[in-house]
Amino acid sequence: MRIVIVGAGEVGFHIARRLALESKDVVVIDRDPEALSRVSESLDVQVVNGSGCSPLVLAEAGVEGAEILLAVMNNDESNLVSCLVADSLSPSMKKLARIRDADYDTYHGVFRDRAPHIDTIVNPEIEVVKTIVRLMTMPGAVDVGEFADGRVKFVGVYLDESSRLAGLRLSELSAKIGKQCPLIAAVVRDEELTIPRGQDKLMPNDLVYFISEESNLHDALAVFGKHPEPLHRVLIVGGGRIGLRLALHLEKMSIQVKIIEKDHDRCVELAERLNKALVLDGDGSDQGLLNEENIRDMDIVVTLTGDEETNILASLLAKRIGARRTITRMNKFSYFPLMTMIGLELAVSPRLSVINSILQHTRRGKVLSMMSIKGEQAEVMEAVALKSSSLVNKPLKDISFPQGVLITGIIHEGEVTIPSGNSIIRPDDRIIVFARRQAVAKIEKILAVELKYF
Amino acid sequence: MRWRYVLRTVGILVLFLGLTMLAPLLFGIYYWDQSVVPISISMGIAVVAGFLLFGIFRGAKVEAIGQREGMAIVAIGWTVIGLFGALPFYLDNSFPTFIDAFFESVSGFTTTGSSVLSEIEAVPQGLLFWRSLIQWLGGMGIIVLSIAILPFLGVGGMQLFNAEVPSPVPDKLKPRIKDTAIILWKVYALITLLQTVLLIIGGMGLYDALCHAFTTMPTGGFSTKNTSIAHYDSAYFDIVIIIFMLLAGINFSLHYQLLRGKTLIFWRDSECRVFLGAVVVLIIVVSLNIYGPVYETIGESLRFGAFQVVSIITTTGYVTADYGTWPALSQIVLLLCMFLGASAGSTGGGIKWLRIMLCFKFCYRELFSIVHPRAIKNVKISGKPVPTAVMKNVVGFVLLYMGLFAVSTVLLACTGVDLVTSVGAVAATLGNIGPGLGLVGPVNNFAEIPYLGKWLLIWCMLLGRLEIYTVIILLVPEFWRK
Repeated sequence: MRIVIVGAGEVGFHIARRLALESKDVVVIDRDPEALSRVSESLDVQVVNGSGCSPLVLAEAGVEGAEILLAVMNNDESNLVSCLVADSLSPSMKKLARIRDADYDTYHGVFRDRAPHIDTIVNPEIEVVKTIVRLMTMPGAVDVGEFADGRVKFVGVYLDESSRLAGLRLSELSAKIGKQCPLIAAVVRDEELTIPRGQDKLMPNDLVYFISEESNLHDALAVFGKHPEPLHRVLIVGGGRIGLRLALHLEKMSIQVKIIEKDHDRCVELAERLNKALVLDGDGSDQGLLNEENIRDMDIVVTLTGDEETNILASLLAKRIGARRTITRMNKFSYFPLMTMIGLELAVSPRLSVINSILQHTRRGKVLSMMSIKGEQAEVMEAVALKSSSLVNKPLKDISFPQGVLITGIIHEGEVTIPSGNSIIRPDDRIIVFARRQAVAKIEKILAVELKYF
Repeated sequence: MRWRYVLRTVGILVLFLGLTMLAPLLFGIYYWDQSVVPISISMGIAVVAGFLLFGIFRGAKVEAIGQREGMAIVAIGWTVIGLFGALPFYLDNSFPTFIDAFFESVSGFTTTGSSVLSEIEAVPQGLLFWRSLIQWLGGMGIIVLSIAILPFLGVGGMQLFNAEVPSPVPDKLKPRIKDTAIILWKVYALITLLQTVLLIIGGMGLYDALCHAFTTMPTGGFSTKNTSIAHYDSAYFDIVIIIFMLLAGINFSLHYQLLRGKTLIFWRDSECRVFLGAVVVLIIVVSLNIYGPVYETIGESLRFGAFQVVSIITTTGYVTADYGTWPALSQIVLLLCMFLGASAGSTGGGIKWLRIMLCFKFCYRELFSIVHPRAIKNVKISGKPVPTAVMKNVVGFVLLYMGLFAVSTVLLACTGVDLVTSVGAVAATLGNIGPGLGLVGPVNNFAEIPYLGKWLLIWCMLLGRLEIYTVIILLVPEFWRK
């Protein structure tokens, strides 16, 4: 299937990379020949040089035969125009656009039903704020995905040295805990992802991914030695669009917010938009200011400036002075592996979240939501089991799954179950599938037997 | 450099080469000649060696191979394939020494068509078929073929493709390199089939028709006859072969577009237009020049003049007349043709017309800017500006080409070869043409070139086929540094 990506920035590049690895026909359009040569030199995709809003360029890229158009240029207006032009060239094509301005928030539905017919609008800022809030409210979690409308969570936690689970085999877990133990889907050790079996041991410093229903989540986290911490005071460094969104959200949760922003005019604007939050005009890496504002008493420090080096330094500084937890905004993917090394476990990336939400919509079959596991080694997807799929109406143990695939949840008529070998998937059940990257294309095929692009 | 990955891939290629030996083996069995034993042994050796290499380095990580590995695989792969391809020749007694067999094999894979054989018809049929088949495989590229049909060449396919099919302005026909490779090979096979049928209609046997189609389409030039195409002395064959040599000399993506219904594409594409126009002009010059001193009728002059000009400019190297006895002007025009070559994206060699056009336009722009110092003017091809990086690459290529030609000529003369022969032999091998001038002219062969000279020419053939950069980069010390 042919996918046209407009914009060869960081997001466009990484989506193209992921899709090309899955052997899809990808065409990338960009005005900048240098950005394009980076794409064409390292990826097996076709590139077209020109404006993504030009009908000639879009036609040259073959939108007429394409199934999906992804508009991920830097500005909202270009993305809208690109979708509009593409819509007139090829009305049946599915279109996705990244639109960041908050003014558009309430109009996503309008754009879907009327003129540009953009099937999905992705706003990385909304996604990032959601992720930050999830990480804040879940003690110890470094990676959280939501499925079944938030009722099932897929959570990654680091196992502490002192954890009572460290050193245990998986098969011994229930005996030790004394009750139903959460289903462990994956373990990341030394940057290698494995799907553990009963004989495998859990080690300290492992990153353990488990799946849990929302109602049991706190019990499950307690099993891993993570207990709820009070959340009253939050310091936000950087008052950009994400900072403002987060502050507004936290205000609604009656959490005390302080927000530090360097630019004076922006501070004035923030003060106008925010009612309870304290807006501070200053530098987030200024030790004096941080001390003055009692950073020791902060439950969480979130660094959200546009510059990731500043964010990393501000987070490190806040940790050193005494903040209990920090969440750092990152853009460069190359920095992610460094994060645990320097002690900043919690990182969010608007780009990664936009990539995740876009990839979810490029999947064949009825995929409802999707999450990438650290370092893109695996994916978790929630999908509808179609009648014609080979998955339905037989016990799981009788189905031959491709290697590296695990069914981690079945949602039947609103009931969530964590499956065992005898569980049976019924048609139109929703299932939550964990798949290693190598198996993604295969599981996609199994899910999409009906050749339906939803 | 990821050596394990490089060796693993070379292993796959050798294994693949071994399997292709099945085709000549079948012909050998059909004719039941002496080639059965040498081909079977070679096939065994290649398959086992390929399996061993692949088996030992099977676990090599496939991810993230770069341009460097791509170039190393192609340059080393081609040399190794040349060695294994020489085995059937060496094990048969037709070739006195291994270097002769190696020369013939590399000449085949690089679609040069320079031979060390004087008695071609004495060679067993199976072996002659192998000699034609390797040209066919080398023409569109054995690595491109592997990308098209072998699933496990994997992620590095694109780097390999770019290293084997270098083009100043690469055009991908499809988003994925595998699909592009499949299309190129399908078009290539289709045209080859068409030519085979036309040759059979003209009265050639299936075996000879297949062998000649296999050496026309890659612009190779190996014939199964001692006197090449002159053996048939038939105007029909001459015309059919002229047409197919020209087709082989045209960018294959244009053939693809033609098959998709764009009928005027040959005229619309500026390179193709210039190439075909130049061919017509050169044919007229040569035919007028040989009309009178060599041939008595204008018809004959045109027939032989056109065949030789097309054969040399497309870098095929078939012969219907001994141009060594033609007037000096014709010989110089033919020598010039050796440098010009065919179109970019074709199976032909030489400098190629796209580069020549770009160089001319570049020079013109330089002169233009002397007259109008403040003018902003782009070098354009088909109405599109050419990026500076491409321009640099092209100028660098032409300089390297001429430089290597000069150095190799001097080195060849050092081994005791005379002036005209040195110039002709190097031009003919660097451009992948086949017959040169003087002692390696159209009615002679390369057997008399001294031992060291043959190594030099093998190197020239590889340089020419892989368009210089891929091979010469191996000599750059920086390439090997960690």
